[in-house]
Amino acid sequence: MTRTVHAALVWATVCFAWVSGAVAQPVVNELRIIAPAAPGGGWDQTARAMQQALQRAGLVRIAPVENVPGAAGTIGLARFIGAEAGRRDVVLVSGLIMLGGIVTHRAPVTLHDVTPLARLTGEYEVIAVPAASPFRTLRDLLDAFVARPESISWGGGSAGGSDQILAGLVADAVGVPPSRVNYIAFSGGGESMAAILGGQVSVGINGLAEFAPQIEAGALRALAISSGARLPGVDVPTLREQGLAIEFENWRSLAAPPGLAAPDRARLETLIAAMVASPPWRETLARYRWLDRYLAGDAFTRFSAAEESRVRNVLQKFAEGQRGSRTGPEPYPWLVIAGLLVTGALLVRQEVASPGGGAGAPRGPILLLAAAAVLHLLLVERAGFVVAAAVLFWLAARAFDPRHPLRDGLFAAGISVSAYVLFARVLHLSLPAGLLAGWL
Amino acid sequence: VSTIELLRDGFASALTWGHLLWALAGVTLGTAVGVLPGIGPALTVALLLPITFTLDATSAFIMFGGIYYGAMYGGSTTSILLNTPGETGAIATAIDGHAMARQGRGAPALTTAAIGSFVAGTLATVALTFFAPLLASVALRFGPAEYFALSVLSFTTVSALIGGSLVRGLFSLFLGLALGLVGIDQLTGDARFAFGIPQLLDGIDLLILVIGLFAVGETFYQAWRHGRDAPEPIGLQAFTGMSREDWRRSWRPWLRGAAIGFPLGVLPVGGSVIPTFLSYSVEKRLSRRPEEFGHGAIEGVAGPEAANNAAAAGVLVPLLTLGLPSSATAAVLLAAFEQYGLQPGPLLFASRPDLVWTLIASLYIGNVMLLVLNLPLAPVWARVMLVPRPLLFGGILVLASLGAYSLNSSLLDVGLLFAAGVVGCAMRARDVPLVPAVLGLVLGPLAELQFRRALAISEGDPSVFVTRPLCAALLAISAVALILPAVFKDRRA
Repeated sequence: MTRTVHAALVWATVCFAWVSGAVAQPVVNELRIIAPAAPGGGWDQTARAMQQALQRAGLVRIAPVENVPGAAGTIGLARFIGAEAGRRDVVLVSGLIMLGGIVTHRAPVTLHDVTPLARLTGEYEVIAVPAASPFRTLRDLLDAFVARPESISWGGGSAGGSDQILAGLVADAVGVPPSRVNYIAFSGGGESMAAILGGQVSVGINGLAEFAPQIEAGALRALAISSGARLPGVDVPTLREQGLAIEFENWRSLAAPPGLAAPDRARLETLIAAMVASPPWRETLARYRWLDRYLAGDAFTRFSAAEESRVRNVLQKFAEGQRGSRTGPEPYPWLVIAGLLVTGALLVRQEVASPGGGAGAPRGPILLLAAAAVLHLLLVERAGFVVAAAVLFWLAARAFDPRHPLRDGLFAAGISVSAYVLFARVLHLSLPAGLLAGWL
Repeated sequence: VSTIELLRDGFASALTWGHLLWALAGVTLGTAVGVLPGIGPALTVALLLPITFTLDATSAFIMFGGIYYGAMYGGSTTSILLNTPGETGAIATAIDGHAMARQGRGAPALTTAAIGSFVAGTLATVALTFFAPLLASVALRFGPAEYFALSVLSFTTVSALIGGSLVRGLFSLFLGLALGLVGIDQLTGDARFAFGIPQLLDGIDLLILVIGLFAVGETFYQAWRHGRDAPEPIGLQAFTGMSREDWRRSWRPWLRGAAIGFPLGVLPVGGSVIPTFLSYSVEKRLSRRPEEFGHGAIEGVAGPEAANNAAAAGVLVPLLTLGLPSSATAAVLLAAFEQYGLQPGPLLFASRPDLVWTLIASLYIGNVMLLVLNLPLAPVWARVMLVPRPLLFGGILVLASLGAYSLNSSLLDVGLLFAAGVVGCAMRARDVPLVPAVLGLVLGPLAELQFRRALAISEGDPSVFVTRPLCAALLAISAVALILPAVFKDRRA
């Protein structure tokens, strides 16, 4: 097994060495890029595109990407602030959606808690309907929406994301309170696109890149785009030319940890500027059809502050008066809790009536195993994965058979080290190195 | 140009040495990551993206397709031998697969899993070849109301998995439903039952609960019983192939598994849990010996494994024809297409037929490679059961912890893993079945979300569930699935 893995990995490494070829002396040895989302999404793509551009332009020798997914990036943000404060070799991919996530999920941290670096890319949003929809123009849609707001269901990405923010801005602009927007949140691209294509919702909002192939194929009719002026090659009227004073883009940016010294910040800003100007980054922009929206320094800080107040404003209007609405979650959680309590009580009664076999105080082996688990948890981030795993293995093996301490010890060390090398060194997953950082 | 001719061109291109080598690399790597718990095909492809960047698109996608299919094969191995499902699609396999391994029948279990995967994977790829656009348009007719009905249908499978005691089974189910409440409410964005812990905002990861309940719980339980009663002897049967009886009992589940898995894979609601458990409960219902299920019935391995691979092929239908990713791996594959400046979707078949058809042809080839790779390995793998138990349990705990930590780089996940292990141990000691809890965690949030979405779209009018024909039909099937067994039981009695 391990041999097949090894062979495949060696082969992949050889291919990598062959394709990467010789590069110039890099400026920075290592820069870690944190993508606060799962692989495949926009932030992850941005992080991996940066990784390629930085390495291929010879600016950074190695730029590992770490995914810390969840809750519109706010989990990654909280971790970044807590675990990376003051570090000079790590950046976080963030952007508009994180601003929305902070408001919607009432995150205890904000983008004020990190060091802003630069805006990198932006993507305009498109409002579209299925080809069979009765709405021919934005005006048709908005007339129906103003007449009876709840009859129009707006499909888009997760609650608090860029799609919902734009729906709120549009409602606000035509005088409908955003709390009356019947916004149907879907998780991520595929699910919302399926609902829009299938006509399950009246109208859909999504990024231009996601919608473009469907519009070209005639499956969707684009009613409006959120850019300031018409984009070359995209025959879609803007919101502005249809009478709504809205310009909106889903921008992505970079941040450094809090408490960064001024020279370190300047060094990172120079590095990002060099990356943005490099040919590999230009190629990446073209390939992904991203707009270059590079903006750094004080201008970016001002832009970010203005966006934050706009997002906070519209999302708070969404929340107003939505308590107790008909789509609320109210009865379900309490039914589940009640069911759990009732069946739990019945179970206890059965047990009391006729105690099953196997009862009795816990004995040595299970206590040793419990101690191993607790010790492992304490050691993982303090002493490193290898030490913690070896302790877990050794104690667990001894719980079952204490006669071979040396054999168990050898296996514990061997398995822990080889697991660490395979996952952390070959596959570049982030595992804490701890005490053995110098040797592995 | 007809489909057959396009496919022939695809084979001509896939059968070159370079492309075959990439397919082999993909299936080997895929099998490896499928075996490792926690690291799946999505992460692997994401990690490989920068490395493959300078490859031509066709070679890269042949390798990615191999990784994807390979991971589905690999996931069942740890599930059967160690009761540690490496992927969510392998949970159902663990129930009877691990029971078989304990009886010394690990090799036949692995063999029926491999052949079933091959049969179903190939049939599903044929369906993908000839009916992809048609199927995709049918899938789009599924709205929130239909998905709600589908999750109701899936809930009926719980009755086949509930075990001897209704109270114990329902307690387990409600435990899973309650755990499913944790995290952000998708429709409003409000946090529920997260107790102020940011890592809980995204809910409790299915894989952590499963590895905790099954693998860690099993280890704790063995330690709990250690010295109390004699350990169950584990030997290997001398004959390592599938017997005539095994073949006779496997082939129908393979075909049924393919028929259940493929259409459910096509629907853009992610996850291989529903098709695999539906297949499991169908096999139990149709079996003449339902009492064997849970104690090493080979049908309980053959069906779900086939369904899992067929569903994996089904996921490619909306991805290739509409550009819709419906699983984590599909999302990464979509990102990979974009890296090459390609847009999967209605125009991809027209703009890059060479790539699409070479990819499809290499899926057939990858399936054959996986069969050839996995069949001789089955008896070798089965010998894992002979490793001294202290070392085996130590290794399981280390792998489980590694998998849990690497999911989100969060220590809290490792803590949850051990907590789930304690719960799993207690449930085993009290004869409470584990599987209903897993289904509750998967289906509860799905049913709630789709129910509320459907009502929001209809402005609160509940008649959508009966006026939409597909939805009404699915609900009717669910009712029949619940009532019929009771009727039959009465008659038999």
